[in-house]
Amino acid sequence: MLFRILDPQTKANQFWRDFDRLNDELTRSILDSQFGSASNFPPVNVYTKEEEALVTCLLPGIEADQIDINVKDNLLSIHGKKKAEELAEGTEVHRREIFNGEFHRTLELPFRVDQDHVLAKFTNGVLNIHLPRREEDKPKKVSIIAG
Amino acid sequence: MNTLTKENKEEVLKQSAEKDVKTPARIYSPNVDVFETEAELLFRVEMPGVDQSSVEISIEKDQLILEGKFVPPAESRGQVRLAEYREGNYFRKFTIGKAIHSDKATAKMKNGILELTIPKMEPKKTKIEIQK
Repeated sequence: MLFRILDPQTKANQFWRDFDRLNDELTRSILDSQFGSASNFPPVNVYTKEEEALVTCLLPGIEADQIDINVKDNLLSIHGKKKAEELAEGTEVHRREIFNGEFHRTLELPFRVDQDHVLAKFTNGVLNIHLPRREEDKPKKVSIIAG
Repeated sequence: MNTLTKENKEEVLKQSAEKDVKTPARIYSPNVDVFETEAELLFRVEMPGVDQSSVEISIEKDQLILEGKFVPPAESRGQVRLAEYREGNYFRKFTIGKAIHSDKATAKMKNGILELTIPKMEPKKTKIEIQK
C-alpha cells in the first residue's frame, strides 16, 4: 500500500509507492472512516430511554484517567487530551492519521440529569456514560377517575 | 387483500429478526499511524469497540491485512437522538515488502488501539571475491 522497505529509490519503486497510496486512498474513500474532522472529536452517539440517556463516544488510545466528564442540569461535557507518543530518533513516519491533541465536547441532553448517579465505563477505547433522568422530571402516569 | 394472522405475523417478525442478524456489518477503514525504524515496522491502528480476541492479523507474501470484528451490545440502548458514528468491522490492507520476519511479529491491543511490530530482515551482505 504505501512503501516497500529496503528497496532502492528507483523510479519504478516510486511508481509503486504512488500506486499503493492511490489504491489505499480509493479503498478508504469507499469504506469510509468513523472519524470526521478534529473539530468533531470524539464522535458521539446519544440514545435515550424514558429513565436515562446513554452517551457513547469513540476515544481510542487514551487512558480513562485522562478523560474529564462534567454534568450540570442537562449539559454534559467531555474534555481531555490525547498525547502523541514520543518517537525514537531516526524513526521514519510513513503515515499519521490518528488524531492527537486536546478535545472538548459539550452536549445538551433532552432532560435534566441526576448527577449523583451518573455511571461512566471505558472499555476498548469506547466511553459509555449512563445519565439517569431526575426523579422529579420522569413522566408521571395520571390516573383517570371514572365520572 | 392479504391479512396476516397472529401466527403469520410472529413468523414474519422472526424471519426479519434472523435476516437482521445475517446482514453483514458495515466495514470501516481505521486510522493508522505507520512508523519505520532501522530494525522494525510499527503500525498503530484505531479499532475502538473491538476486543483483543476479535482482531485478525495476516501477512501473506507482501500483503498485511488487519481486521477487527465489532460485537454489538446485547441490550437495547434506546432511541437514537444523535449519531455521529456508526458501528461495524474494520479492515485495512498494506503492501509491506518481503524483507520482514512475519513469524516474529508481535501485537497488543490497548484501549482500542492495535499496536503491531514487525521486525525487518537485515540486508544480506555478500562478499564477492575478485578473481586475479
